Amino acid sequence: MRRSVALLIIPTLVLLLALVIYPTVYLWCMMFFSYHPARDPYPIFVGFKNFEILITDSEAISSISTMLILMGITVPSQIILGIILATLFSLRGTYGKLGLKVLILIPMMIPAVIIGINWRMIFFSHGPLNEILNSLGIPPQPWLSAPFGNPSYTLFSLAILDIWQWTPFVTLALISGIEGVPKDLYEAASLDGASERQIFRYVSLPMIKGIIVIMLLLRTIDSLRIFDIIYMLTYGGPGIVTTTLPFYIFKTGFTLMSLNPGYGYASLLSLILLAISLCISTIIMKIIRIEKLIWE
Amino acid sequence: MKSMSIILTLISWAILIIYLLPFIWMIGVSFKPIGEWGEPHLIPKNPTLKNYVEVLVTGGIYGVRGHFPPATHYLINSIITASIVALLTTLLGSMTAYAIQRYRAGGTTLANWILSLRMIPAVAILLPLVVMTKSLGIYDSLLGLILVYPIIALPITTWFMIGSFKSIPRNVDEAALVDGCTELQAFFLIVLPQSTIGLATAATFAFLFCWGEFLIPLLLAPSESAMPLTVYAGYFAQQYGVLWGPMSAAAIIIAIPVIIIAVLIQKYIIRGLTLGFVR
Repeated sequence: MRRSVALLIIPTLVLLLALVIYPTVYLWCMMFFSYHPARDPYPIFVGFKNFEILITDSEAISSISTMLILMGITVPSQIILGIILATLFSLRGTYGKLGLKVLILIPMMIPAVIIGINWRMIFFSHGPLNEILNSLGIPPQPWLSAPFGNPSYTLFSLAILDIWQWTPFVTLALISGIEGVPKDLYEAASLDGASERQIFRYVSLPMIKGIIVIMLLLRTIDSLRIFDIIYMLTYGGPGIVTTTLPFYIFKTGFTLMSLNPGYGYASLLSLILLAISLCISTIIMKIIRIEKLIWE
Repeated sequence: MKSMSIILTLISWAILIIYLLPFIWMIGVSFKPIGEWGEPHLIPKNPTLKNYVEVLVTGGIYGVRGHFPPATHYLINSIITASIVALLTTLLGSMTAYAIQRYRAGGTTLANWILSLRMIPAVAILLPLVVMTKSLGIYDSLLGLILVYPIIALPITTWFMIGSFKSIPRNVDEAALVDGCTELQAFFLIVLPQSTIGLATAATFAFLFCWGEFLIPLLLAPSESAMPLTVYAGYFAQQYGVLWGPMSAAAIIIAIPVIIIAVLIQKYIIRGLTLGFVR
């Protein structure tokens, strides 16, 4: 490679290596130490003790399963709602498509913190949602808490936020997929006497299958990053009901709320999260076929 | 057929409005005076700008219930960091994108790696970054944020610029090389000026990502000096969670620029967020 071309990538490489490689190496080393700045003067080597903690730590196991349950609720809901909205918004008779497309962007573009603040008020025990339910004669629901003896719906309340924010993403991606289908295909189908539903089933759906798969994967990997709304809405509670793995890493690494606070244990948990995300991103890379995207 | 399409249009718009109701309601709250905040009606009975004035200028509400600082300082922090990071990552991202797209620098490995960084859960690598910035003495400063934000912005700008350069014909820079330009001259003087729309969109993307970022500044800039608007709003909600009016005003102040920008670059958003897979 020419030296001048190398000059173009060196600044980026240096920056990203410092921001990614150093942390990864740090995590791999720290995993064998016990250290918390508020407690220890310096890290103590403990060998595999953090692994022992992990096996017996029920909160860690539950945080991983909570993360997977949240993923299992949000991702399919977003895909299904996205398909419904995209179909409705791109039917031939619908007017004002540009307006629909621009306005549906709003939820996905506003920062997640804002969404947290917004729904925190909506779910408040004397907030607007319960007021409306009240006026309809339905008793107020404990959206964010688990009063003694009641099951907790909080994880579902939390899922609503993520679904609300990211369904538009799936919708818009599918709309651009549907609009990308050549017009004459639709004309040919309707000339042959196909109904709107048949056109959707036999013309649109096969064309947008690839987009559905990629959205499924992108939403799955992004659901590993859900943090802001948990921080704003529930702070992992009530109890540990909404503590997902990312939030548990935050709790062990940066607060004293966890039973096993410390950088060492948090490093081990971080590596588990990285491993899960690496598996999914490898699949995405396989499917995306980078060669074709960049050079052809 | 005509009536059918009127029905479809009505259904679509009704669904859209119901979908956006939570946000519309919060806009309403930000214009409601104290006492009306918890009520479900959307349009304020006695609209007021008091919430915005209190958040932006005076800080504190009637001096009665607690006292919060005005948002100006945090607003400036957000604008400074997001703008600098947007410029920096657009420059670095376009350089990298050009080397990758035209010269296959680093082959598929580099391209794959940069793309996969877009998907890393930031919380997993923030602990070492906190340790690193502390030992470099840039913890809790604007400089620290500016140096760490590229982890979320740089992959996006690089990917966006790859798409942008792909659409510029190769013979543009080949002609420049034949005319005696070096590779760097061909890039900076010939190709870059031709991709202004791509550069502007990439910078806008980077700006939006940094403007809305919450977790990184929460952990890297916890004190007042470098705290951006998002963390201020979060802190506000935790400390003065009952002050719905000013809290909503703060939230709307953060959301407004994002919405305006999003409408402007609406065409490119899906392409940017799906890494070019969906056009």
